Amino acid sequence: MSAETHAEHAHGHDDHHEPGFVQKYIFSVDHKTIGIQYGIVSLLFLLIGFFLMMVMRWSIAYPDQPLPGWLSMFFSDDWKAKWLQDGKVTGATYNMFGAMHGTIMVFLGVVPLGFAAFGNYVTPLQIGAPDMAFPKLNMMSFWLYFVGGAIMLASFFLPTGAAQSGWTNYSPLAGLQQAEYPNQWMTGQTWWLLAMVFLITSSLLGSVNFITTIINLRAKGLTWMRMPFFVWAMLVTAFLLLLAFPPLEAAALMQLSDRVFDSSFFMPSGLYSKTLGALEVSGGGSPLLYQHLFWFLGHPEVYVLLLPAVACVAEIIPCNTRKPLWGYRPMVWSVLVLGFLSFIVWAHHMYMTGMGPMISTFFQTTTVLISIPSVILLTSLIISLWGGSIRFSVPMLWATAFIPMFGIGGLTGLPLAFNLVGLHLHDTYYVIGHFHYVVAPGILFGLFAGVYHWYPKVTGRYMNNFLGHLHFWPSLVFINLLFFPMLVQGMAGFHRRWYNGGAGYLAEAGNTTNVFGNTVLEYMHLNELMSTAAFLLALSQVPFIINVFLAWKAGRKVENDNPWEATTLEWATPTPPGHGNFTFEPAIYRGPYEYSRPDHDEDFLPQWHEPQQPEAAEKESKSAQV
Amino acid sequence: MEIPFTVTARKDTGLYNSKVGIWLFLASEVMLFGGLFSGYVFLRVYADYPWPERVLPVVPGLINTFILIGSSVTVVFAWAALKLRKWNQFRIFMLITLTCAAVFMVLKGIEYKAKWGHQAVRMDDFVILEGHTHPAGIDADGNVFHVGGHASVEDHSDGPHYIAAKTDDAHGGDHHAEHGPAVKDFRTNVVVFDANELVINLETYHEGVIGGILEQSEKANSANWTLVQPYVGRETAREDEQIILSAGAKLSLENLAKAREVYLAAKANDSKVRTKQLSDAWAKVKDIPGNKERPNHELVQDENFKINEDFDQFLVSPTSTVTFQTDEPITFVLKPREVRESAESALLADGSSLNGQLNTEASAIEMAADAIDFTFVAQRAEEKGVDPLAAVEKTWIIQNNPQVAAIWKAHTEKIAKLEEELLEKYGTDKQGNPKRVPTEKERYRITWQELVNYGEGNEEKGVFSGFAGPDHTKDYAKHFPEVLVPREEVNLETKFTPRWNTYYAIYFLITGLHGLHVIGGAIVLGYFLFFGKKMYLNNPEHLANRVEVGGLFWHFVDLVWIFLFPVLYLM
Repeated sequence: MSAETHAEHAHGHDDHHEPGFVQKYIFSVDHKTIGIQYGIVSLLFLLIGFFLMMVMRWSIAYPDQPLPGWLSMFFSDDWKAKWLQDGKVTGATYNMFGAMHGTIMVFLGVVPLGFAAFGNYVTPLQIGAPDMAFPKLNMMSFWLYFVGGAIMLASFFLPTGAAQSGWTNYSPLAGLQQAEYPNQWMTGQTWWLLAMVFLITSSLLGSVNFITTIINLRAKGLTWMRMPFFVWAMLVTAFLLLLAFPPLEAAALMQLSDRVFDSSFFMPSGLYSKTLGALEVSGGGSPLLYQHLFWFLGHPEVYVLLLPAVACVAEIIPCNTRKPLWGYRPMVWSVLVLGFLSFIVWAHHMYMTGMGPMISTFFQTTTVLISIPSVILLTSLIISLWGGSIRFSVPMLWATAFIPMFGIGGLTGLPLAFNLVGLHLHDTYYVIGHFHYVVAPGILFGLFAGVYHWYPKVTGRYMNNFLGHLHFWPSLVFINLLFFPMLVQGMAGFHRRWYNGGAGYLAEAGNTTNVFGNTVLEYMHLNELMSTAAFLLALSQVPFIINVFLAWKAGRKVENDNPWEATTLEWATPTPPGHGNFTFEPAIYRGPYEYSRPDHDEDFLPQWHEPQQPEAAEKESKSAQV
Repeated sequence: MEIPFTVTARKDTGLYNSKVGIWLFLASEVMLFGGLFSGYVFLRVYADYPWPERVLPVVPGLINTFILIGSSVTVVFAWAALKLRKWNQFRIFMLITLTCAAVFMVLKGIEYKAKWGHQAVRMDDFVILEGHTHPAGIDADGNVFHVGGHASVEDHSDGPHYIAAKTDDAHGGDHHAEHGPAVKDFRTNVVVFDANELVINLETYHEGVIGGILEQSEKANSANWTLVQPYVGRETAREDEQIILSAGAKLSLENLAKAREVYLAAKANDSKVRTKQLSDAWAKVKDIPGNKERPNHELVQDENFKINEDFDQFLVSPTSTVTFQTDEPITFVLKPREVRESAESALLADGSSLNGQLNTEASAIEMAADAIDFTFVAQRAEEKGVDPLAAVEKTWIIQNNPQVAAIWKAHTEKIAKLEEELLEKYGTDKQGNPKRVPTEKERYRITWQELVNYGEGNEEKGVFSGFAGPDHTKDYAKHFPEVLVPREEVNLETKFTPRWNTYYAIYFLITGLHGLHVIGGAIVLGYFLFFGKKMYLNNPEHLANRVEVGGLFWHFVDLVWIFLFPVLYLM
């Protein structure tokens, strides 16, 4: 079957009754619609998270200057009177924005975009399934996520404001935060926990759905080692979410109980607060317990963020180099090992807690071990580029940029794995620089690549090439100007939670006794560079937003169902795929990345093409993958 | 469009979709309860207070264990009946399962209710008292009296019994009749405060808190809150100042809202004016040649950086508090958790404060103690290297309550006897130390059974036990000693809720979450029972699959209980 015939099938396919607007676009059970819903909502959350960050960056670079109009125009006068001091960002406001920036970016932005949006749209298509195994559950996941996100945003408008204890919400800080408010159910800190319960439930249902779908709904002939790497990565990600999130749910429930029922799960004895005096709680709890439960999720969560991006890049690179993915099998094994190891590295976030050298050494060892599968993944992607006749399409630009960017992020993490170095760098901008390199230019670049890559399948139109370049190049430059100086500042000892960028530590000119103050003075000018880069980075996203909307209606139409001449099964569907996805019973005859096969005329051989004669090359191609 | 393998199993995996799904879901549930159980281990290992052991009633827990195991069996029978296409048999077994779930939850409810009605007090010297507080009321004059009816109050007459009063002559029992009904019934664990001044912060005040104050004031009927100083303000500098609330204005939520609106508007106005001042100052200092390149922190200290104070005329400077007073003090009965009291002021939860006089007598906690526990005192004494017995003797309760002191004396004698008995029975080891000694709990905790035994003059320990702990409605409750604890001696007082200590916190969290699972599972199984007929007729195998999946979940719920019961009830 050729791609052209599928296009003809696209319209004659919907013979059953047409669902209404609400059923089709809002409470839809179709995995593709749900994927798009996830994509749109999570991109909006990314935008909101970015905005919070810009306000913070203003405060860091210009702590004494009022917020400029273009940043403060979104706030009401009453809000400004309460949360800004003479138009300047206060410490409390900075904490609130910082906590919510992290929360929104991680739980409401990147995970839903990478795992939920791409996973939902692409996974069932790539395995030849008509939909997810539990479509209604899938819809429920999305709406739980939506409600969780809505609660999170609504908490900004509570009298207490939103959560203010960092995205990690460490107890007892988080337990005491806003404790002076009479009704604890109506505080931002409590709503954070309630929202998290919704988000966690959403992730759990989603991951059950993904794993079941991948295990049980694979098309005929799609054996495990013929699955595209994307599906493997989604499978591992789903397992991470499934097993790592519940302990955080336990922690969230405990913290909730601490807040509203005054229990002392995380409250040590003899706690005294400046505003509340000696606390009327029993004490005897363990703050360390919270950190263990949090990071038991927190670390696998990093790989939940990362793997979907690697998955996108691993699809885009072979398609654009026109040669098989190098080391498919090692990559699959690496991702499995990575998933397993990610469960036993969590306490490397806790070197400062004094949990003892034995435990620190154990987690230091496992942390160093986990770099092995990570490096295998990245190296395979690099070698996949070798000798290819690369098509530098826009998705490929993002995918190639992902490799060095994620490389910087990963390599700057190595020193942090070591206990001694970790103690020095803990909570400095070095850490911020490290994980932002992983998440922003790393993961987000990979996800942008995915957006440009699958957009033609979703809408039937290409995104504009010029706008794509206008999006990519400035983003690449400014994001590095934003994050690289952080590594420098961090090594000089800049703390991640300074709301005024270090102005409080400055030494008087010529005062040589204030050594740290002089260091701060030396590196503080970088603040303005980074903040300017952040604002320009925001500007560089404008072409993307225009592109998404413009191309939806006016983009160049795709010539056929497989515009990138790719080999995986999602390109065998009509464009855009209708309800039920396939117009034929999909069957799989070969591995996922059969590009430039010497025995084939075209430079790609899709998985679903029935062999004309018994393929003698089948065995050879298998060895070629490895 | 049909999703494959919803009913039939896929050949190579041997599973239908929802069976894969439920196993995955149960895996995540294992992690959830695993997190909670590891929390339990963590809290217990790092507890810095005597961890409560075997404090829960074992009998209801044991019955519940068998009920859940039984229901796990019947749910399998129900599934098997469906496989055999025996609808009625399915219904019977499913009904039994659901009945088991209901009985389980009822027993759980009884257990919970006993905890929520049971008062605990931790004193400043770490003596722990458990028991029931006495019911009391307050009349229109602010006199606090016993409502009576408590088994342990031996001298209760027909009329109310005053425990604390503002005037001496109020002590007469008949006095009460002239003053109308009690304002409010409560347990004698409240802060009683006579206030004639109320200071409210316009920004932070909370409708619920002020509403509660208003409600109590209205019931007291004796006086009204009136504003002392007029609240004058304006929203912007363009307007003239107006009297928003005149002096003598009554306290009401509407009046407060009016003042708050002006206050917030004025604050927003001032903020805008000052933001403008600051922006202009920056614009000016940056205009000076060469300044653009200089870092901001230098500029802000520069002499050229000047705030233009001409703008100050546009400030409207609102006041943030309003003060109300009454001619006659009003007696407030406040929950201890919602107020921070001192001799002359009571700070409410929203930052408002009542000024006046604390009624220390009426604020004391009066209770019939069903357990007196010195284990925490002993533990702290041992940590400090002090003789624990001496530390116990020095505690406030032994010094001030002769009844408790006598009980403690009798208890120490009993322990001395027990020590001898153990020595006789088990002998000494090679070093000459006794092989067995009384446990810390035996030494320092006086349980309710022991209290009753003392009261009845029994030497031997009685064999009675309560279904869910001591029962204060039973006749034996008269032997529980009466204690009156002044509030300043109290370190922490609470019912047996998650607040009491981390043991009860984790107990309520795990059993509560388990209870929610029971309810959730029962709802799903009940749905199959009551709404499954249609599916049974259309596709009986599908229903059987659903029941199988539900049954797997039910087994998991049972399994959690089987771990939970020994960990929380027996260890």
